Formats: sequence, structure tokens, C-alpha cells
Amino acid sequence: MTAPRGAAQPVAFARLAWLCACLGLALIPHLRALPVWVLATVAACVALRLFRAAHGRPAPPRLIRAAVAVLAIGLLFLQFRTFNGLAAGTALLSLVAGLKVLETQARRDIHILALIVYFLSLAALLHADSFWLLAYLTALLWITTATLLQLSGAARTVDWRKGWRYAGRILAQAAPLALVLWLLFPRFAEPLWQTPSDGRAATGLSDSMSPGDIDDLAQSDEVAFRVHFVSAVPPPRERYWRGPVLHEFDGHTWRRTDSGPARAPPLLPEGPGYQYTLNIEANQHNWIFVLDWPSSWDLSRAMLTGDYMLVQPNPISQPIDIVATSYTHVRAALPLSAGMRWRDTQLPADRNPRTLELAQQLRRAHPDDMGYVQAVLDLFAQQEFFYTLTPPRLAQNSVDEFLFDTKRGFCGHYASAFAMLMRAAGIPARVVTGYQGGTYNRFAGYWIVRQSSAHAWDEIWIEGHGWLRIDPTTAVAPQRIEPGLSDLNSAEDHVSGWRHLPWLADLRLRMDALRQLWRDRILKYDEGAQLKLLGYLRIPQPDGQKLVMLMAGALSLVLGLLAWQIRRELLPAPSDPLVRSFNRLCTKLASAGMARLQHEGAEAYAARIADARPDLAAATELCRRYSELRYGESPADAAQFAAAVRAFKPQDSRAS
Amino acid sequence: MAIHRRRIYILPTRFGLMLAGLLVAMLIASLNYSSNLALAFAFLLVGVALVAMHHCHRNLLALSVDVGAETDAFAGGEACFEFVLRNASRVERSDLQVRIAKDAQSLTSVPGNTYGRVTVCVPVARRGVSRFNQFELRSDHPFGWFRAWTYVQASLTAYVAPVARGERALPAAASAAGRALRAQTRGDEEFSGLRAYQPGVSLKHMAWKVLARGGEPMLRSYSGLAADPEWLDWSALEGLETEARLSQLCRWVLDSDAAQRPYGLRIPGAEFAPACGLEHRSACLRALAGYAIEASQ
Repeated sequence: MTAPRGAAQPVAFARLAWLCACLGLALIPHLRALPVWVLATVAACVALRLFRAAHGRPAPPRLIRAAVAVLAIGLLFLQFRTFNGLAAGTALLSLVAGLKVLETQARRDIHILALIVYFLSLAALLHADSFWLLAYLTALLWITTATLLQLSGAARTVDWRKGWRYAGRILAQAAPLALVLWLLFPRFAEPLWQTPSDGRAATGLSDSMSPGDIDDLAQSDEVAFRVHFVSAVPPPRERYWRGPVLHEFDGHTWRRTDSGPARAPPLLPEGPGYQYTLNIEANQHNWIFVLDWPSSWDLSRAMLTGDYMLVQPNPISQPIDIVATSYTHVRAALPLSAGMRWRDTQLPADRNPRTLELAQQLRRAHPDDMGYVQAVLDLFAQQEFFYTLTPPRLAQNSVDEFLFDTKRGFCGHYASAFAMLMRAAGIPARVVTGYQGGTYNRFAGYWIVRQSSAHAWDEIWIEGHGWLRIDPTTAVAPQRIEPGLSDLNSAEDHVSGWRHLPWLADLRLRMDALRQLWRDRILKYDEGAQLKLLGYLRIPQPDGQKLVMLMAGALSLVLGLLAWQIRRELLPAPSDPLVRSFNRLCTKLASAGMARLQHEGAEAYAARIADARPDLAAATELCRRYSELRYGESPADAAQFAAAVRAFKPQDSRAS
Repeated sequence: MAIHRRRIYILPTRFGLMLAGLLVAMLIASLNYSSNLALAFAFLLVGVALVAMHHCHRNLLALSVDVGAETDAFAGGEACFEFVLRNASRVERSDLQVRIAKDAQSLTSVPGNTYGRVTVCVPVARRGVSRFNQFELRSDHPFGWFRAWTYVQASLTAYVAPVARGERALPAAASAAGRALRAQTRGDEEFSGLRAYQPGVSLKHMAWKVLARGGEPMLRSYSGLAADPEWLDWSALEGLETEARLSQLCRWVLDSDAAQRPYGLRIPGAEFAPACGLEHRSACLRALAGYAIEASQ
């Protein structure tokens, strides 16, 4: 059965099809990131090659392959302008995989295809945090590896069951090695090169607000961040999580003007401070949501802007934890600077004329700032304003339309209208976006702030006090803020009620607690956690060097154990108790000077014993019985035979 | 003799080196993106590679190989050695490759607690005695990322007989038996009875019907088979050069053997008394193969 071997050996259809399936499965996590035409090209290549293979034809001619390759890769470059970065790299790799399928002819191509599948899997994980994705890709690793197993030249028929089992065993044996490496392999404190965010969409609030922006968020169940309060928890109406502060208004959209690295004017705390830990997910924004008003935090590279936004230089691309302290009641220590006063009283003169007129009317009636504020809030409360998640769309003069025509809006509409009315009366006002409230997870003792808690409110400058938070939404929908009804959605019809079944809500909280555990233990496992682990193992003065030494030691130990285990499988293990008993008998006889010869069967052995050693008649009898039990038709009673062997005590004739 | 682990060498194949490059890239990417999940995946693949290395090594471990040390061949053909790979463990040994030379290799798998036979054929161009001091057993099981191999010391000898060639008639053709010979080679017409089976006799003469009926293996006898022993004599081939003489003698040996006529061989330095059968044929051919030649490797 000489078989031609090596590169020239054609690849069987089944193996090619399986590897194409693996490629497809590896592309699934990339579906959203890849341009559609790339996917289409890959699919077309796979279909063409499989069609040809099914009809026993080889890969298409070299010229066609080269043309497709040049065309596709050229197009890719036109689209991305680079091959660097994760998105472009993944697209390129997918294309190369497709082209590789097209030319797959020999064993070598299948190997390269498998390597591409491995790398595509890894690329899907680089920005991911999901346990399920890891599980999925591990399963894919298993399938791909099992396919590689079928590539051997000796296997005439493809035995998939055996392949699965074998690949599964190899994967199981690899797991402890992977665990040791993962736990102890030194991590980089800082990346070697700055990784671009690769077009990863920023999630959550942005740094501008148009009518309707927050409405979309309000229907999202995604978690924005989680909070552990160290001791005291602020009352519900004070749980405002401060995000982007917006100053510039064009009559429709509020934007953040970059105020530069102005330092935050000092604040005098009034009342208790709250210390808490924020667990922030990667959101690709460079601001950090903190409890109003932040006073200290443990992230040295983050700083507070002039309008009390906590920002850091780079977008958050990894989950981070921050310990911070905030005071919910503060007073300004310094008067408002002229520049800030100017910035926060600007309005586009030609927009929203009816609102400007309303403001002048009201201002004439209430020259006092606080009186004017109250008058505006009363307006919201007493007129027919409705709080709704699905307000009508608004055009350029959005505040006019909202105040006088539609009168239906979400928090953003109220905050926008209120700030505009304040500015129109000469009161410095700004819109603050962030989150309000949070859900307590009683199973793990932390608060979950979801995207559905996204909120917008206002801050106005009151002489003698400083910036004062006004939430005009409360005037319309107090239940939005009040305790007990913090989850607004329960009042809305369009959100189905199933989420609010108590047991389901509990289940969701438990799942979230698990998710949190996963984040803390796995996603955020870093150098600090490694050193802590060393400390746990009672290693004095843990540092990076000791980590590497421990890794080398643990790795050798596990590898040694593994090698021993893998080799041990070679030993013929007589699992049959009958065989074990017989072997014991043979050992006993060997020590009595009557060893069984290697080729000797039980009957022949018995005959030889009977011949040579009549004093061992009992052994002869036992050997015959073994033969009967093992090969005869009577059911074997292994236990009885074992007892008989145990009872057998040979007398060494040479000794006696 | 079972293969000891110290005698097994192992190195990554080019696919293994490609994988190693990929793993380094994966590691750097995961560390740079500080993605613990990607790192876990990369390390799992590292683990798979390391485990695969041990499985590759184990695939040869404690196998035992027997080989038929001598074989016969004709120049221009192939010398085939039969190897028996014994697997005393319950683990299947897959993709075992036996190699004698670059162009002489065979692949097989041996399930647990069994043995497998594999034949490796070496092309032989010239008459002579070819010896091989060792053969190689190799495997790139399970994934083709590593190749383990071992050299087994064994003296393998191929007796390469000369090509059977030559126009001269058998010495016996001079006698009246010539006509009888032609008749015999034509077919069964002159069937004269059955006789006891003799190992080495051409299968053409087996009495298959008797065997199929459940009888003893028998041979069909033909009239004229009991001809006088003839001598295939070197000295009868005056005028030919050495190789041509040997080829002619070889032709005669094969013809006589096929006709199941007793024959003797006489060449300078060796004489084989007239006889029949496989052993005799083999001895004659080996004498022809080794005539005036140093053993070559």
C-alpha cells in the first residue's frame, strides 16, 4: 500500500468542505465588521471551488486565480487605504482565505487555510469580552483541528467520530497548559504600539445632543457601567452620573465646545461625600461618568475639565475600574469667569423666535432668577406637556416646535428647552448629559446603570451659590426620578411586560452578577492581579522576574505530567479483573521458580507446571480454571477466581 | 525490539514552523490589545501544539518492527521488503511511514493491540547484492506540525538477480523433450493426475477444485514432468560476455522452474544439484545475483 505523499497529494472533497465550513464559522463573528463585497467574494470562491471539487475537477487555472486576487486586494486597498489595523487586516485575511480556498489543491493549502481560520478566530477576540464568543471559537478550534487530523495520507476513509474524539482529547490535555500560561505569562503594562480603535463604534452617550438622540438609548438594555458604593449610597434623587457637558446650541443640536485644558474651579462640599468604585466597559469615549460632583479619583491620567467632566487622554478601549469620591451638594468657591458666562449665555438669534419671545414675557414678570426658574418649571408642569419615549420628529426650530406645537418630549427636549429659556433670560445655563438612577443588584451588592437610564438635565449659574442642577423632566414626569419607579419603562406601553416578571428580573440580575465576576476575574486580569497571585502563593517580594520563573517551573511540571500521562496510555492495561488475577498468579509462580514463558498460553503453562512441578498441582488447576473462565462458555466469576488466586501459596521447592 | 524513547528524534515540519510564526503573531497581537480572551485562545493553541508534539513522539514509542531481512529481485525491478509493525498498546499508531531510501517509503496505520504489515519497495537498477544497514520509521501524526523519526538498525539484503534475458534454448531442448515442453506450456491437455502439495510450486499447478471441495492442497501433475534433470551450465554458454551469460542462465532457471522440471545450476565457484521448488530457485537466483560481485549498499 504505497501511497504517493506530500504536497502533490490532492485533497479529498470532504476535507475541503469541512475546512470551508470552518472558514465560514470563523467569519461569523466578523460579519458586522466586514464589507459585504468581501464576504460575497469569499462565498463565491468557496462555492466555485467546492463545485469544482464535487465534480472531481482541480482548482481553476492560475490566471483566473491571479486576476481575482489582484482585483479583490486592489479594491480592498481602495476601500480602507491601508492594510494596517484590525478592520482592514481582518478583511484582508478573509480575502486571502477565500483566494486560498480557490487554489486549494494540496495538503499544504489546507494547512495554510487552517492557520488563517485560527488567526481569524483570534482577531474576533481582540476586542471582545464575551464568554460565549470564547466558547464558540474554542469549539471552532476543535472542529478545525479535527479536520487537520483527517489530512493524513494513511487514512483511506475519513473516520470523523474518531477524529472528534482524538482532537477533543488533545484539546483537553492542552487546557492545563493554556491555564498555566494564561495565569503566569507576563502582561504588557503599556501596549507596544497604540492600537487604533479600528472603527469600533463608540457606545452610549455622545458629546452632542439632538432631539431624539437619547430616545434611542432609552430603549437599550445594555449596561453603561456598574457601581459599588463603599459605604453610604446617595438617595435616588441625587444619583446623577455626569457625562458630557454641552455648551454650544445652534437651535437644534447641543454640542460640546472644546474648552481646552482649563482647570476645574474649586468647589466647597456641603454634606456627605460618597466613595465608590466604577466598573467601566470599553466604550471608546474618553470621558468617565462620575457621580455629580466629583472631588477625587484614582486614575492619574484622568483630569477634571472646567465644567467638571472627568476626561482621560485616550478613549476607553479596555474595561477599567476607578475608585472615586463625590459630593452631591457643593457650592462654588469662586465667581463665574467672564469667558464662561459669555459662553453659556449664547443663543442663535435667528432660531426659535417664539421661545425667545416667551422668555422675554416671563422674565418681565419674574426679574428674580429663582422666580424665573420656578415660572419655567411651572410652565412645564401645568401646561399639557407629555413625557414620552417616542416624540414626534423636530426640525430646525426644535425648541419652538416642542414648546408650542408638539408638547411631547423626552428628557433631552425638556433640558434643551429649559436651557434655552434660561439663556434667553441672561442666566448662564448648560446641558449636562449622563445617566440618572441605577438598578441595585442585591445578589452581588452593586448598582447597574443601563443605557436606558441615559438622561439630560441642566445646570444654571445662580449668584451666591454657583452651578445649580435643575432637572426639568421632573416637572413633567416625577416618576422618572422618584424612588420605586426609577425604571421608567414600566410605565410605557411599547416595552413588553415580560422583563418585569420578578423571577426573570432576578435571573437577569444573577446573570449580570456572573458577568461581573467574569469581567473582574478574567477580562481585567492583569499584572497587578498576577503579582497578587504570587503573594497568595507566599512568594516573597513578588515581581515580574519571579513570575517568569514560576511560569517556567509550572510549565515544566505540567508538561512533565502530560508527557507521563500520554506515554502511560501505551501501557497495556489489563482492565479485565480476570486477567489481573491470572497475572498475579503468574507472578506468584514466577517467584516459586516457575515463570510463564512469554508465548505460553494458560493451557500450555498448566501442562508444563504439571510436568515439571507436581508439587504445584493447585496452580495447574488454577491455570486450567482461568482458561475455562476466560474462553469457555460458562459465565466468568472473576471474584471467586481472584479469591482462589489470593489463597494460593506456592512452596518454593528449591527453598524447602 | 521495541523503540526506545531516546532513539526517537523530533523536529517541527514546515507547517509546524508556520504555526510557530502564527503563534508568535497571535501572542503579540493579544498582548498589545491586552485582550485576555484572545490570549487565552492563543495559549490554548500553544497547548495544542505542545500536546501534539508529545503525541507525535509517542506515536513511535514502544513499537516493535520486524522485517524480512532478505528479499529477491530482478535488475530493473523493485526489491520489496516486508515489515511487520507490532503495536502492543491499546493506542492506535497512525500514519507510520517506513523508509529505506528517499524513493522507497510506505505508509500505514496500526490499530491498538494488533500488528500491521507494510511493504517497502526499493527500485534496483543493477544486478548484485544490495544491503541496507538501517531503515527509518517516521511519523508526522497527528497534525503534521511535527515529525518524529527513528533509525532502526537492521541488515536488509536484496539479492538482485540479472534480468532474465537470452535467446538460447534450454540445454534440454536439444533432446526430444523439446516437443513435450511446448505441449506442456500450452495447457492442461496432458494432465496425468494429482500429487501432494509442495511449497513453492507455481500456483498455476494448484488443484483448486480439490481444495475448494475441502480436500488437502494438491498439485496437478502433467505428463512429461518427470523429465531427466537438466544442468544449466555456465560453460555451455561460451562466447557470451558475463552479464549476458548470467541473464541467459536466469532465463533458464525461471523457465525450468515454471515448467516444474528439476534443474541444476553450475557456475564458476558454485554448483547446485538438480532440484525443484522455491528454495532451490531462490538459491540459484541468489548465486546468479552475487556472482563475482562485492556486496553493495
